[in-house]
Amino acid sequence: MKKKISVGKNIGIALSVILTAFWLFPYIYVVCCSFKKGSEVIAVPPKFFPKVFSIENFQGLFARMDAAQYFVNSLSAAVISTVIALILGSLAAYAIQRSGAKLSVFLVVLVLCLKMIPTSSIVVPIYELICNLGLYDTKIALIIVYAAINMPFVMWTMLSFYEGIPTTLDEAAYVDGASSFQTFRKVILPICTPGLATAFIFTLFLAWNDFLVALLLTSTKAKTFTVGLAGFLSAYNLDLGPMCAGAFVFSFPVMIISLAAQKYIVSGMTAGAVKG
Amino acid sequence: MRLISRKTLLLFFLPGAIFMGAFLIYPIITMVIDSFYDIGITGEKTFIGLENYIRAFTAGGFLKQLKNTVVYILLAVGMETIIGLLFALFFELNYRGSKVIRSLMMAPLMIAPLVAGLTWKLMMSSSFGIVNELLTRVGILANSSDILWLADAKWSLIACCIADIWLTTPFMMLMTLAGLQVLDSSMLEAAKIDGASMFQQIILIKLPNIKPVLLTALSVRIIDAARTFDIIWAMTEGGPNSSSETISIIIYKTLARYNQVGYASAMAVIFIAALVVFTLVFMQSLWNPKKKMN
Repeated sequence: MKKKISVGKNIGIALSVILTAFWLFPYIYVVCCSFKKGSEVIAVPPKFFPKVFSIENFQGLFARMDAAQYFVNSLSAAVISTVIALILGSLAAYAIQRSGAKLSVFLVVLVLCLKMIPTSSIVVPIYELICNLGLYDTKIALIIVYAAINMPFVMWTMLSFYEGIPTTLDEAAYVDGASSFQTFRKVILPICTPGLATAFIFTLFLAWNDFLVALLLTSTKAKTFTVGLAGFLSAYNLDLGPMCAGAFVFSFPVMIISLAAQKYIVSGMTAGAVKG
Repeated sequence: MRLISRKTLLLFFLPGAIFMGAFLIYPIITMVIDSFYDIGITGEKTFIGLENYIRAFTAGGFLKQLKNTVVYILLAVGMETIIGLLFALFFELNYRGSKVIRSLMMAPLMIAPLVAGLTWKLMMSSSFGIVNELLTRVGILANSSDILWLADAKWSLIACCIADIWLTTPFMMLMTLAGLQVLDSSMLEAAKIDGASMFQQIILIKLPNIKPVLLTALSVRIIDAARTFDIIWAMTEGGPNSSSETISIIIYKTLARYNQVGYASAMAVIFIAALVVFTLVFMQSLWNPKKKMN
């Protein structure tokens, strides 16, 4: 009986390893391609592993686009917008969660609805607004738009974290004479660090991975990495090698961070979903 | 005791509200107004009432894209759920190194949809794509150019779905795993003692117990799949012959390429309204804001 279980378990283990390898195949393929020679990427028939290890594609990437600048643009827009969304979003969510007013129920529903809005439909009015403000092709434009469209997400995540914090803490601070803001800043936020970390990582990735907003709002100066990558879409086959190199450079940090911060990612995705 | 007065609530909400008002609510109001106008390329507006809305639902409107979107949601989310569930049952096993394997499986989770689209575009290329090469080697295809994934109207939407499935199955798996982990193990023990088979344990105990988690995950995924833009744009831009055009793609094209602001706004208003109604209906059954607030 015991042996039978262990055989079944071994099959399960083997299967899960095979499935993982199978699932990671596309990503490993891109990584392999980025280290091939340019001509080998489009060789017929295609080979999985590079015949010769080469950094030709990375040279091609930097020759074809200002990759370093785009990388910095993506990074600064993502980080600054995330910090803004996090500060303002967590403050607003705190007030909504702790206030018993009828208005707060309305605000919760409003935030939820705003979270559902597809960017592809509202991006053109946003474009017009940014042009009218004279902010076209600036990092400021990206920062404020990312901060705005990711804010409902931050609020939604933080709402579920605040819920787990007993209101007795707030009451104690109130009795000690703390103002609402002091309570939030000195009592609640420090306990919420895991929640803030989760919201931070998610919002950072949302902004980092964005393509559409940057596509419409930037042209040269503030262009982000995704828009640069999309430039390869209309490219000739010869450019597919550099495209792989670009995809690798862009997503490698993401993979590393998501492996390192998996705890927060898991709790962010399952927040509110797993509660008896 | 009232911890936060109405005034404080408004005060704390205000800074965030300014951002959201400018870039989320204002665009929607603009669109609602624009949707009743015919707007020329130079910007002159003529009031035409509901004509844009009527146009959307008549032949040549967005009915084809609506169908594509529904097919995309059903296919992508359906497959993700089934594969994610099966994977979760395998990955639930604990052994030395199981954590590493689980982490690796979740690694693609955060990859940009655009990158996922580019990756699959490369892999599904008809001449040098590795997908067809592998399918030919195992004997499913006679010739590596038998399926033109991205250039054939029959396959283009399916190709986009495959990229979506690859990208988001780990999410479904993660949610299901989370649900399985909070499952009361004594229930399974009891079932085992009563002689329930592995299959019966899954169908009768595990599935019913993870239903709430699964429903939440489904609602998140259905909305995300409906909104998908980057993947499709990277792979096919909606083509060939609008065979993979979904509603987000047609709205964007109508706005940015054909410059028909009024008509695009009408479609966007319908789309957003549909998503909001879906969310509210879905949430109502799962989650009651009033109950949660108290």
